[in-house]
Amino acid sequence: MAIQEYLRPKLVGERFQGHAIPLEFLRDLAVLEEMVVEVAKWKFLQEHPERRRTPRGFTDDMILTLSAVEDGSAVPVIALMFGSLLPPANQVYYDQAKAAIVGAISAAADNQPVTAFLPDTALAYFDRFGRSLRDGEAIEFAPPTPGAPTARLTKEVRRKLLLASTGVQVLTEEFQLRGAVHEVNQEAMTFQITLFDGSKVAGPIPSQHFDNIIDAFKGYKQGMKILLQGVGRYNRLERLQGIDSIEHTTILDPRDVSARLEELKAFKNGWLDGRGVAPQHAGLDWLAGAVESRYSEDLPLPYFYPVAEGGVRLEWSIGPQEVSLEVELSRKTGEWHALDLDTDEEESTAVDLDDEAAWDWMIGRLTGMVGARRRD
Amino acid sequence: MTDDTLLLRQVHPGFIQQNRPSSQVFRPTPKDENRLSVYDGDMIAAEPSWRHYTDVLGRKSVGVLAITVRECSDQELTAAPSPDVFEQHVHVDFGVCTANQAEKKGKKLLASAMARGWLYQV
Repeated sequence: MAIQEYLRPKLVGERFQGHAIPLEFLRDLAVLEEMVVEVAKWKFLQEHPERRRTPRGFTDDMILTLSAVEDGSAVPVIALMFGSLLPPANQVYYDQAKAAIVGAISAAADNQPVTAFLPDTALAYFDRFGRSLRDGEAIEFAPPTPGAPTARLTKEVRRKLLLASTGVQVLTEEFQLRGAVHEVNQEAMTFQITLFDGSKVAGPIPSQHFDNIIDAFKGYKQGMKILLQGVGRYNRLERLQGIDSIEHTTILDPRDVSARLEELKAFKNGWLDGRGVAPQHAGLDWLAGAVESRYSEDLPLPYFYPVAEGGVRLEWSIGPQEVSLEVELSRKTGEWHALDLDTDEEESTAVDLDDEAAWDWMIGRLTGMVGARRRD
Repeated sequence: MTDDTLLLRQVHPGFIQQNRPSSQVFRPTPKDENRLSVYDGDMIAAEPSWRHYTDVLGRKSVGVLAITVRECSDQELTAAPSPDVFEQHVHVDFGVCTANQAEKKGKKLLASAMARGWLYQV
């Protein structure tokens, strides 16, 4: 077998640092081969309009393989492997397919017509190719002609490519959702989940996640929440229409931080009987990240409440200690107050929540309170 | 009202997580002019107060907690009827408390109320 380098897409993003490709991403690379083959066939037929089908054995003896993973973010080296010593004649159509795919990605990124490069049927492959991309990630392709800009496939560019296809009304994307399972149909093996914005979505119950979904359903009235990760169907307005498949389920801690802060995102201005400012979503995202990255797993999770003026308040009850941290989201500052209900001793201070030292101090205080309670 | 009169406080759903109320329940917001609105428990019971609050006033409440007039005065807070708002209405005046003072008083009042337990919950 002979082998020839074919494509070196560069995977950009935090997940791909250190020469690593998550296994789930290999699914995307497998779809790339399917797309290349179909576009190569299309290119052949474009050049031979007198033919209705590609010749028998058009793709025989040629396969795309992952021959290496190079550094510099992760660069999977994709090679074309063929059975003869010399490349078969059909290789030219594989090269044209590569140029067409890269051209379509560039066109979509530049808001140019993509159907000049790929037919509708080929665009549909982007439903699965690039589906694993997350916000801030990209697959970069070197341009076919030197000096041309790099083609970058991002979540947004993928969506444009799909929407350019007249046949695509629904896009599939990976999702991560939190909600409460309000309905289960064991005969049909389906369930319905209420999300924090009040919308309801249906999905299948895979057998390996049956127990978790049933537990979440049983705990619905007690406020039990579940985290689902899988693939969903979205309409052209990016609204989730349904769940196609579920890959992971996790019953959430009743005080799961991300879940609670997502609930607070549903608050609108006027939430407090006509008064009440809704907390800013960007501020809630920042707070979720700050707590997730800095809060010790050994400490009890705080309760989160909205504040009428638009902030968020964290509260803890640790033995006789009632502790609160009232957070001003836009300034990333907080007012800490701790009151010992037994001794009436209190402590209050302003904290800069952008300062690692402030978090260390608060964690230290909370740890001391927990330790004191254990000793009593 | 006497020292033992229960003062009924409606709890907004936004101030509850996992059935735990925030101590903001017993602390007035700046727009409240430093006064906490409660019902005179000698004039109306918990559930009727909830119905009045939700059906008549059209506001949101998931239940009723209560503190006594004595518990307010222990925190140097005055409770006075204000029938100009509606017949059973009482104001607990936080006066010129600083933010920290209001914070402390709110926490102590909530602790008293929770020791008493919910008088009504939906």
